[in-house]
This record gives sequence, C-alpha cells and structure tokens, in this order.
Amino acid sequence: MVVMKENNLLSSLSQMGVGLGAKNQAFELLKGLEFPTRKTEDWRYTSVKKILKKKYVQFNEAEKVGLSNEIVPSLDAYNVVLVNGVYSKELSDLNFPDEIVLDTFPKALEEHVSLIHSTFNGIAKNNEEVFTALNTSYFHEGVFIHIPKKVKLEKSIHVIHVNTKCNVVSNVRLLIVADEFSEVGVVQSFASVNAMECLTNSVTEVFVKENAKVVIDKVQSEEPKNNLICTVQVNQKANSTFKINTATVSGDFVRNGVNIEVDGENCTSEMNGLYMQKGIQHVDNHTKIGHLKPNCTSFELYKGVLSDKSTGVFNGKVIVAVDAQKIEAYQQNKNILLSREATMNAKPELEIFADDVKCSHGTTTGQFDDEAIFYLQTRGISKESAKKLLIEAFADEVIDKVDSEELRIWIKEKLD
Amino acid sequence: MLKVKNLHASVGDKEILKGLNIEVKAGEVHAVMGPNGSGKSTLSAVLAGRDEYEVTAGEVDYLGKELLELNPEERSWEGVFLAFQYPVEIPGVSNINFLKTAINERRKYFEQDPIAAKDFLKMVKEKSALVELSDKLKNRSVNVGFSGGEKKRNEIFQMAMLEPKLSILDETDSGLDIDALRIVAHGVNTLKSKDNATIVITHYQRLLDYIIPDFVHVLYDGRIIKTGGKELALELEEKGYDWLTKEEA
Ligand SMILES: Nc1ncnc2c1ncn2[C@@H]1O[C@H](COP(=O)(O)OP(=O)(O)OP(=O)(O)O)[C@@H](O)[C@H]1O
Ligand SMILES: [Mg+2]
Repeated sequence: MVVMKENNLLSSLSQMGVGLGAKNQAFELLKGLEFPTRKTEDWRYTSVKKILKKKYVQFNEAEKVGLSNEIVPSLDAYNVVLVNGVYSKELSDLNFPDEIVLDTFPKALEEHVSLIHSTFNGIAKNNEEVFTALNTSYFHEGVFIHIPKKVKLEKSIHVIHVNTKCNVVSNVRLLIVADEFSEVGVVQSFASVNAMECLTNSVTEVFVKENAKVVIDKVQSEEPKNNLICTVQVNQKANSTFKINTATVSGDFVRNGVNIEVDGENCTSEMNGLYMQKGIQHVDNHTKIGHLKPNCTSFELYKGVLSDKSTGVFNGKVIVAVDAQKIEAYQQNKNILLSREATMNAKPELEIFADDVKCSHGTTTGQFDDEAIFYLQTRGISKESAKKLLIEAFADEVIDKVDSEELRIWIKEKLD
Repeated sequence: MLKVKNLHASVGDKEILKGLNIEVKAGEVHAVMGPNGSGKSTLSAVLAGRDEYEVTAGEVDYLGKELLELNPEERSWEGVFLAFQYPVEIPGVSNINFLKTAINERRKYFEQDPIAAKDFLKMVKEKSALVELSDKLKNRSVNVGFSGGEKKRNEIFQMAMLEPKLSILDETDSGLDIDALRIVAHGVNTLKSKDNATIVITHYQRLLDYIIPDFVHVLYDGRIIKTGGKELALELEEKGYDWLTKEEA
C-alpha cells in the first residue's frame, strides 16, 4: 500500500473542531492516497508542487476585517463570513428566516445531528480526490444550509471566505440540503485582504431533492498570490434544477471541480464559468456531469480571457449511462488569448453509453479579431477601447447567466 | 482636402499600390473604378489606416496633415470615414452603444463633454430615418444577422452619425437591390455639402446615375491610369477595361 509522503502542507495541518466519524475515516483514507503529479490524468496541466511545498498556518479565531464592495460584492443577501477559515459572528448576519437552517458546523451538529449524518460526506469523493479527503479530515469549520420542503428563499445566502493574513491554510466545508419543492440561491465568495500565499481548500456538497432548485454563484477574487481549490459535489433528484456559475477574477492558482450526478428524470443542470487570469496566474476548471437517468438536459458554457503569461485548463466530462435515453447535453468552451505567451488547454470528454441522446460540444481558442478592432477604430474608437468592448462582448454572454443584476454588475466591473 | 502622391503599398513581398496619385477637393465626388484585384480596397484600407498594408513610398496630405502618421481612430476623429466593402460582424457589441462610444471618444479628442442622451437619441432617430434602418437593426449586435443590403445601409447610417469630411465608400452599391440603392444614394446625397468630399468605389455605372461624380478614375494594377468626367463611366460600361489596359501594356 502507498503511504502518503509528508509535505509542508500536511505538516501545517492539525485536526481540530468538529467531531465527526467521517473525519477519522477520511483521515485513514488519506494516508493511502497520493497527491497528484503531472502523470495524474486529471491534473496533467495543473501542478500542485508549489502548493505542497509552502508552509502554512492554521487559524482558529476570526480576525476583524472591513469588507468593502471592492473586495467582495455587497449583495442584498444573508451574509455568513469566514475569516481565515473561521466563522466571524461579528461580520455575519445573525437573523435568518425561521423556516431555514443556516448554521456553522460544530454548532449545527448539536441540533441537526440526524440530518447531517444522513447527508454529510455522502457524495464527497474522498477516495478519488485527495483534496476532498484532505478537507474532510481537517476541516474545522463550515456552513450548513437546510431549506425544508416547499420553502422558497427570496434573498440569497452569501457565504464569504476572506483571508486576511499571509500563509493561511483553511479547509472550509459547505453542506446544502434543499428539500422537495424548495428553492435557494447561494453565493460563495472567495477573497482576501492584504494576504499572500494562502491556500483555501473548499468542499461543497449539494443535495437537490425532487422538484427543488438550487443556484450557486461562485465568485473568486483572491489577490494575485493566493491559491484556491474548490470542489463542488452535487446530487440531483427527479424534476430538480441546479445551476452553478463560477467567475474567477483573479488568483495565482485556482482549481475548480464541479461534479454533478443527475440521479432522477426531468432534471435541468447548468454549469457556466468565466475566468480572466493575468500575470502568471493559473486557472483550471474540471467539470463532470453524469446523466444516470433519462429525459434530462444539461448546458455548459465556460469562457476565458487570458492575458500575459497566464494559463488555463478546461476539462468537461459528460457521461450518459446506458439507460439514460433522451438526454440533451450541450457543452461549449471559448477562449481569447490576449498575449502570445498565454496558454489554454481545453478538452471535452464525452462518454455516451445510451443511443438516443443529443450531445454537442465545442471548444475554440483564439486571438482578438483584428478585423473587428480595425473596424471599430475606423469609427473613432481607440484600439484600447475597442479591445475592451470586444472583451466585454465576449464575457457578457456568460455573465448574463448570472441571475442577480448586482452580481452581474460587480463581475463586469472586475473585467477592466 | 486629400492629396495622394506616388503611393506605394505592399502586403509582405507583394506590392499592390504602385505609385498612385489622386487629388480630391472639398465639395467633390470622385468615382474610382477598376477591375477586380486592381487595388481599390487596398487604397481605401491604406487611407483608413489598416496596418496590415505597409506603405513603402509616397505621401498623403489630408487637410494639411500627414495622414499616414495618424492611427485609424485619429483619422476618424479628423473626419475620414470608410464604408467597408465587407462590413465586419461583431457579436455582442450593440450597434447603438458602439456608435455612442465612438461619438464620445471623438468629442473627448476635441475636448468636448460627452453627448447628452437626449441629443444622441434624436440623432439616431433622424439619421436612421435617412437610410430607413429599422429599430430592430439599430439595437442588434453590429452587423450580426444583417443581410448583405442591411449591412451596407448600416454603413451609411454610421457615416451619417459620424458626419465625416472625407467618406470613402467601397462598393457600397454591390449587393443592393434597386430600392436599397436609391435609399443609400439618397443618404449619401443628403449628407453631401461644399465642405465634404466623397470617394465612391464601384463597378457599376448605375450607382453614378444616383450619385453624380465630378471625376471618374480608373485604377489598374495599383495605379490610376485614366481620369475623366462622368462620361468615362459610361464608356467603361460599354467597352470594359481592355482598351485602357492594352494601352497601358
Ligand atoms: N491582406 C492581403 N494579403 C495578400 N494579398 C492581398 C491582401 N489584400 C489584398 N491583396 C491582393 O491585392 C490585390 C488587390 O486587392 P484589393 O482588394 O485591393 O482589390 P480590389 O480592387 O478592391 O478588388 P475587388 O474589385 O475584387 O474588390 C489582389 O490581388 C489581392 O489578392
Ligand atoms: Mg475591393
């Protein structure tokens, strides 16, 4: 059996907080796993070497910090704030509608133990994903959201992760359970204030029960020197709707995993992403949708604008099981490289085992359209503004997938 | 207004303009005709500032300025307009918004405040009526999903909005039906004044029935080989270019 090699990341971590059997199991599992190398298929273009080599500090008390709209979008939402991975009572809203559960992890366990036991870690892929196993083993705080049957939450819940110190490591966990016929929107923001060399390893499990609807907007605006790994694991039951939008505005190293199991008929699933890396930043979006039952539709649109020497990876896997007939699955990935030194690796992967399906996928990576720029210039739009207009036009198609106008505006402003 | 002297331009090793001369005065309409591939669009692109074409010799004086020293947007601000032979489609950029940006960038260049929303809308209404451009087209992405004729009409709409001094219309008539041709010509004629000038590139004499030129030039193999009055267009229609190009050879 392989035994996990020690590294600086591992030796920076210690188990604390939440007492859950799942943690110990994951910890045992972790010992037998290995961190990915360039030879690991799913990590071919994304090296974690740099991340493992760093020394980190784990926090257990929340710092004070001022959060302006510049740092995280100020939304009309119920805010839950974690600073350096630790829940901040001071910054969070304390009044929520009575009918929902919105609680931090250690506390949620006291009151909702059976619901948590029947869901928590139920779909996380600890045995396949080392960073998920790491999160399960070491997470010490997180957020539990339970939307009971038929409850439709009008305002979104905004979970804000903010780093305020250098070299912070945090394993944050989110559990969202949306019961039958319920509806909820969750915004998850990742930001930092004067922080460098941090690593945030976030795992979110989402249970979308029959006829429920869950929308997640992930906004990643970490300062340039920070690292972020975000894994979202979703299980959809019949007649449900799930949509996730990921906007990556900045971040030295960002890896997003979205994994949806569509385990019921007549579901709609949607994954959209926009990434705009600069400098030597790296972004990797790995998505996977498994259609296990017939009569479902999934849409996927990821768009990237890469400048300087930045690198991007897109890998979109669509799996249609043998009996999952009448599936429609659409996937697109489009990229603009603003410099000759920027690179993009895009790969769609279709594994279709049913015969009556409609699937399409496409990926394009290109430079600016010089003809379009010249055309705009001849109308009196400077080259600079012409480029801006074209980037905005390119990004708008995917920004428009975000339902909240205030969030759309916020993302657009970050484009400049 | 415009004096082009001994203009040479190439793409890579290929010389396309080979010593071209033309002079255009304010108030005049010049027609440029010539066989396919003779360099008409290249001339218009060079005048508009496309950097794909390298000017290897010659000079262009525009209202006392070295035109070739200016970048395309500066030429536009100074009043040069090119109606493209093949207007470019720009998905996601709205026709109206981009014109507003264009007008405001020019105003900024002349140190003027941005145009008031009300004035802009009034202008859009007036100018689009001139070329009978529907509201539907005005608000769509630039040229996306426009028919060939609609694209050409959109070019003249933009010309009307930008109020240029020197307009170069590169085959704006090709692909137009008779009604559209009349509309476009009406637009151009309405915008004509003693202070501005127009260069009309065309293959067909019929356009010149509507937009009456003061001069007709024949461009062949990168040079103007003949200049005449409007009757030259009729002669070309009848005889083709052979009699001229043979002379040239
Ligand atoms: N970007 C380019 N690269 C290579 N060759 C070019 C380029 N642009 C123009 N040419 C060549 O230069 C010559 C002149 O082209 P141009 O488009 O100016 O002709 P034109 O007179 O406008 O023709 P038409 O009547 O067909 O519109 C042609 O032989 C063309 O193939
Ligand atoms: Mg041409």
